[in-house]
Amino acid sequence: MEMTAQEKQQQERNKEWRDELRKSVPNKDRVSIERVKMTEVAPEERIKSQNIEVNCGLTPEQAQREASRCLDCANPTCIEGCPVSIDIPRFVKCIEAGKFLDAAATLKEFSALPAVCGRVCPQEKQCEIKCFYAQKMKKDPVAIGYLERFAADYERESGKIQIPEVASKNGIKVAAIGSGPASLSFAGDMIKLGYEVTVFEALHEIGGVLKYGIPEFRLPNSIVDVELENLKNMGVRFEKNFVVGRTASFDDLKELGYECFFIGSGAGLPNFMNIPGENLNGVMSSNEYLTRVNLMAANQDDSDTPVLLGKRVAVVGGGNTAMDAVRTAKRLGAEKAMLIYRRSREEMPARVEEVKHAEEEGVEFHNLANPIEYLADDDGRVAKVRLQRMKLGEPDASGRRRPVPIEGAIDELDIDLAIVAIGVSPNPLIPACLSGLKMTRWHTIEVNEETMQSTIPEFFAGGDIVRGGATVILAMGDGRRAAANMHKYLSEKHAEKKG
Amino acid sequence: MADLKTRFFGLELNNPIIVASSGLTDKPESVKEFSELGAGAIVLKSVFEEEVINEYNQIAQSKSSAHFEEFIDYFDYKIRDQVLANYGKLIKEAKSNSQVPVIASINCVSAGDWLQFASQVQDAGADAIELNLLVLPSDLERNAANNHQFYLDAVKEVLRAVKIPVSVKISNYFSDLACICKELANEGVAGITMFNRFSTPDIDIDKEKVVQAGALSSPDEHLTALRWVGLLSSRINCPIAASSGIHDSRQVIKMLLAGADAVQIASAFYKNGKPYLKELLKGLENWMDKKGYASLGQFKGKLSLEKVANPAIYERAQFLSHFGGYS
Repeated sequence: MEMTAQEKQQQERNKEWRDELRKSVPNKDRVSIERVKMTEVAPEERIKSQNIEVNCGLTPEQAQREASRCLDCANPTCIEGCPVSIDIPRFVKCIEAGKFLDAAATLKEFSALPAVCGRVCPQEKQCEIKCFYAQKMKKDPVAIGYLERFAADYERESGKIQIPEVASKNGIKVAAIGSGPASLSFAGDMIKLGYEVTVFEALHEIGGVLKYGIPEFRLPNSIVDVELENLKNMGVRFEKNFVVGRTASFDDLKELGYECFFIGSGAGLPNFMNIPGENLNGVMSSNEYLTRVNLMAANQDDSDTPVLLGKRVAVVGGGNTAMDAVRTAKRLGAEKAMLIYRRSREEMPARVEEVKHAEEEGVEFHNLANPIEYLADDDGRVAKVRLQRMKLGEPDASGRRRPVPIEGAIDELDIDLAIVAIGVSPNPLIPACLSGLKMTRWHTIEVNEETMQSTIPEFFAGGDIVRGGATVILAMGDGRRAAANMHKYLSEKHAEKKG
Repeated sequence: MADLKTRFFGLELNNPIIVASSGLTDKPESVKEFSELGAGAIVLKSVFEEEVINEYNQIAQSKSSAHFEEFIDYFDYKIRDQVLANYGKLIKEAKSNSQVPVIASINCVSAGDWLQFASQVQDAGADAIELNLLVLPSDLERNAANNHQFYLDAVKEVLRAVKIPVSVKISNYFSDLACICKELANEGVAGITMFNRFSTPDIDIDKEKVVQAGALSSPDEHLTALRWVGLLSSRINCPIAASSGIHDSRQVIKMLLAGADAVQIASAFYKNGKPYLKELLKGLENWMDKKGYASLGQFKGKLSLEKVANPAIYERAQFLSHFGGYS
């Protein structure tokens, strides 16, 4: 019988080298080590360019020292915080032991994109919050995210990336729609199983939100490209500039021999607040702003389609996308890069590190304020935003305190560019092409949560098109689950045919 | 035949009987029926900001993990869009089914939401807006000045944002009812409807439980509105519609005599069916014929505070002679 994940963890933990490593340093010495500080490019330097990654990564020495803080708990609660249940103590202990490539290999058993997750996962709300240090000792948790990034970067920079083994081709063609984290992890698993996998991407770059959404200073494209290169080397085909449903229909693709489809087309449709003045010139979505800067170099002087470069830029929202947009504005020369968020700093969904970085870079925070209207100048361009001042009321059902307007407290802020970053919705194009596909009232695809299979058997789906919006790691988990279940579905189908 | 034309909501109405916002006005088919029966205007069921908050809470609960924080952070706006889109659809369909004015009714709690709701119902094609200003002054921290300001702010915001006429429907829970009406009128509202009704708690003594009292008004409730219509109709600068407890044509006539420009009715239609509208109109016409009035203008406000021989009767608060007679 196959081992459970816990049994496997225990088996790994009981290995001799782990046991020796645990005994090599007394716990009281381990807990006396301070959490490592990430080396960062100085704020005044990094805001000069969109392309300077803020975090520099850990040196091997830093990483090993940080890894030695981990107590290799018998009951590792950190794993409970990880949506894909990475065996965290194993990879951390590999780092402590100096077996960096083994650490990377451990990560890859669970996650298709560790270099990405090490940079963009909200670890402080997932694995790190569950760390023994945080839970029981009220101390800074082990820097699991930094260590994940270290292991993945080390492997990449060592030039020793191992191409996973691929099963012999089974001749069955499958397609992934969209090329974000869900589709990429789906494609990685399916190619390993011997399928012919094609990823169709509507834009001219592969990577989905990892490329168009997350800026270079947080996630360099080169990191994503290495992962894409791996997939290509494994045999995944990528078709860019291909809008499924327009360039070709699903029927066309079926005629070409594709038997099953994974829809990972994400949530590319920006949400707006629908308040008066929102369609003035100078008000745009964070999707538009970031995509044009990240993917189309619209901030360059020679751009054919330049993006508006505001001097007084207001970004509305409190998530990572809002942080990305406001910090981008700062880098593109805004004298005032302002963030407007209706709750307090504590309730911001953005990663703590992004908030800290934004603050260091001089972003002005307007908390407890909510736009209710944009006002134009004589040329019809946005000139002011009217802000309703808020206070925090009772906690709502999500446990966060609800923002409540302060009656009569409305003021105005002079702006010349407003960027709305309050969330996204699934792109309606794919579902519109498929009759019989059951959708929720929020335009996400309904799937069996266990198998990720939709109401049309040969269509599986995952990531934001199913969840509406979630983290990269959840999307990747969906892709992997869909791959496993599509494989099962196709295997049974083909067995039946043969039978 | 008597001319029943009047003005309310900034619009000319064929007659003063308005179908009030209620569960009877939440479908295009019902609007069509009321229109064919000859209503003066139809106020659609209110769209409540509260609906958005309740639904948000449900979703927030089901998605309460770190993964969805960003997703649900502004999800209330998405719910609002859907609620308003559905309401917009109702407005459009109601309009295409109705020969008479269709009024959107909105209930919000904050200035920003008033703005958003109002501009969207305008875009959907409503003929006018009724702001359903339903605030029960139960908050221990809010004084009368706070409440007064809340009403004025909401009205100012909406009037600034939309071009279609805006009327208000208020409750009688004011310590300065006459003053707030005057100020609302001076802001430029196209009508004040007095009064809306709150859902009322009751106690079942057998089960020892707090329950909801019957939702429908009773005819004796009309006297509250009658007093205030009489007191204010000739003294404030905008039309008044009477509401709550108007169940027959005699009560309609009383309101008009006190100075109302229109009446809003829902409970009577719940009790007697939609076609009862025809009876109400017939009753009004018959009375006018009997009295020899050719138009509403000839008797409207005849018994308002200004015109009545004994104005003190509207203002008297104590039952002096009445109970004197019982002693």
